[in-house]
Amino acid sequence: MNLLHFFMENREQILELSLEHLWLVGISTLIAVLIGIPLGILSARWPVWNRPVLGTANIIQTIPSLALFGFLLPVPWIGERADRLAILALTLYALLPVIRNTYTGIRGVDPAVIEAGRGMGLTGRQLLLQVELPLALSVILSGIRVAVVISVGLATIAAAIGAGGLGEFIFRGLAMVNNQLILAGAIPAAILALSADFGLGWLEKRMRPR
Amino acid sequence: MERIPQAAPVIEFRNVAYALPNGKPLLAELNLQVESGETLVLLGRSGSGKTTTLKLINRLLAPSAGEVRVNGTASAQTDVIRLRRSIGYVIQDVGLFPHFTVERNIELVPRIEGWSAERIHRRVEELLQLVGLEPKIAERYPHQLSGGQRQRVGVARALAADPAILLMDEPFGALDALTRDELQREFLSLKRRLNKTVVFVTHDLREALRLGSRIALMEAGRLVAVLPPEEFVRSGDGLVAAYVQAFADGCELVANRGSV
Amino acid sequence: MKRENQPTRHRLDATLTVCVACFALIFSSCAPSHADRIVIGSKNFTESLMLGEILAQEIEAQTHLKVERRFYLAGTYICQQAILSGRIDLYPEYTGTALTAILKQPIGSDKSNVYQRVKHEYETRLGLTLGPPFGFNNTFAMEVRGDDARRLNLQTLSQASAYVPRWRAGFGYEFMERPDGYKGLAAAYGLRFSAPPRIMDLGLLAPALKDRQIDIAAGNATDGLIAAFDLFVLEDDRHYFPPYEAVAVVRQQTLQQHPEVAAALAALGGKINDREMQKLNYALDGEHRDPKDVAHEFLHSKGLLP
Repeated sequence: MNLLHFFMENREQILELSLEHLWLVGISTLIAVLIGIPLGILSARWPVWNRPVLGTANIIQTIPSLALFGFLLPVPWIGERADRLAILALTLYALLPVIRNTYTGIRGVDPAVIEAGRGMGLTGRQLLLQVELPLALSVILSGIRVAVVISVGLATIAAAIGAGGLGEFIFRGLAMVNNQLILAGAIPAAILALSADFGLGWLEKRMRPR
Repeated sequence: MERIPQAAPVIEFRNVAYALPNGKPLLAELNLQVESGETLVLLGRSGSGKTTTLKLINRLLAPSAGEVRVNGTASAQTDVIRLRRSIGYVIQDVGLFPHFTVERNIELVPRIEGWSAERIHRRVEELLQLVGLEPKIAERYPHQLSGGQRQRVGVARALAADPAILLMDEPFGALDALTRDELQREFLSLKRRLNKTVVFVTHDLREALRLGSRIALMEAGRLVAVLPPEEFVRSGDGLVAAYVQAFADGCELVANRGSV
Repeated sequence: MKRENQPTRHRLDATLTVCVACFALIFSSCAPSHADRIVIGSKNFTESLMLGEILAQEIEAQTHLKVERRFYLAGTYICQQAILSGRIDLYPEYTGTALTAILKQPIGSDKSNVYQRVKHEYETRLGLTLGPPFGFNNTFAMEVRGDDARRLNLQTLSQASAYVPRWRAGFGYEFMERPDGYKGLAAAYGLRFSAPPRIMDLGLLAPALKDRQIDIAAGNATDGLIAAFDLFVLEDDRHYFPPYEAVAVVRQQTLQQHPEVAAALAALGGKINDREMQKLNYALDGEHRDPKDVAHEFLHSKGLLP
């Protein structure tokens, strides 16, 4: 049966695994954003934190993904459920782009704007929320976009440790030497990555300060 | 320039010194008083400490020694946010918020201070008129404005909450000569209408003579002289005279000062 | 001057972003409902696939439920994770594997004892339960070539241990790593190989043995190719290998929602013995027939299709 037919026949399973995949990527990106943006703000505000924070995130990124999955497997509670493990690993990998871009975005705000804001009597928080973050938003979004695209790819490997997602099709297809199954995983994953890149890129452009 | 005699100075520097964190001194033994309603010009070359002095007033910098007093209270004892909100601040690069419209830029402090929407709206209209801008400029974004227009918005923004004190750090320095002239003239007319105490930083003697009620010359972190313009150009003090000399047509300026 | 009574473009953008994010989250967290279907998993080797297909067709025949197949999941851990998280509802497992590899407990040799212990632990700790055993014991089988066995007059593993130093062994990945695998066996029988064992895919062991690339392999008692390749299974006289009764592992929640599944599982209890499983495996591995046809034929022959 040709590929299109195969996709139609198995569309429920493909949809289900795609949603699983989106869940893994969505949750881990969200956590990475919730942790990463404050850390980025921290290291932009107090440069002494810059080296340890960015340095740690950098080290995590250099660990090969499958190896990281392997490291985390024996950890209690995390290693017991593959989806927890995958979400943790994906979050860790998403941290660096988010932190680094938050830092760059905030540092990139025109110093005259910051000085005017401070001189006007804006509190640190007001300055951050009303001036720095909105102006840094485009750059931060760019970091999130990179994180999402990385995560979509990494989440396919997560299936190797049982976390599900579109990678499961790929691994099953490899075991059965079934190309259609492999493509049933690879094509939706590629589409997901491209859509995320395109969609977030569009949003990023709209946010760019003039 | 009228000077309103007042009992207590609005701003006072008592033996103030400022040094960088690495120890390098930028100001030493500064004693200065700014009277209510006057326009005090801090004049000097780069590195003379004039901008540092200005920033000590709204506490963007804190003195290493001595005391800065604003309206009779030591600024170290005042809540720094309240202090800054009661002082208007205009800088050379303007620093308009690029993601806000002109209106949002101007209304920021009143909005934070919780003014009613009606009051804010009226104030913005009033200010735009005051600085000579068309009302419909309110919806534009900073990047759509010329340099001169931007600085006018900067001034309007600084005046939004109606502060009694206005600090200006070489506000017209980045503009072309024609626009600068225009804005200087408008500054003078504004000063006549509003009764504010202004501290104005510049390195341009002509601007100082034109706008200031008193000129404070600074050199290498020290106050050299504080004199009204007429006395300044005739002063025998070495440094003052050198400064005047550097501006060749200094004397003519005194003669022309009347025509504003 | 026009009053600014619409949200600024920036505020609109921010709202848009938040909406998109919320939608993405909600959308991605909606697990598709299993209301009307059963998902059956299997591991990535022939026997597991065969059992999975038999289970699927039996449930399809006996109930009105739609069955979705997710076969060839890469190993015990993957299947376990899938069933715990509800991505699959049931899959075929072995009691010995469940006890040692999943529950990580020491094994015994009594098969009903092992079954009961696994069932108890699964029900109390994991929210899973077991169907009745299918009827065969797929324990590890130490296989040698038929002619070697006849020539050396070998019946048991103890007898073979004398020749082991001269032999090359071939094992699968799981056998090498599992506590009830190679290490324990070598200890129990005092086996010492002069060369390290070759590790390969399960499906390649029998051909490698036949082609004399290896001399002894850790295969399975129900290997389809045992008879076909004239291989001999050495007797486990010291009862080292624990019982590996094949059972269906199923989520308790699934049985609660669909009690008719339990009936289907019960119908399959005890219906496949060792020889029958070998024949089924051979139909796939040796004759390369379609698993769907083989499963259908089998169920029909047992009168299990209504």
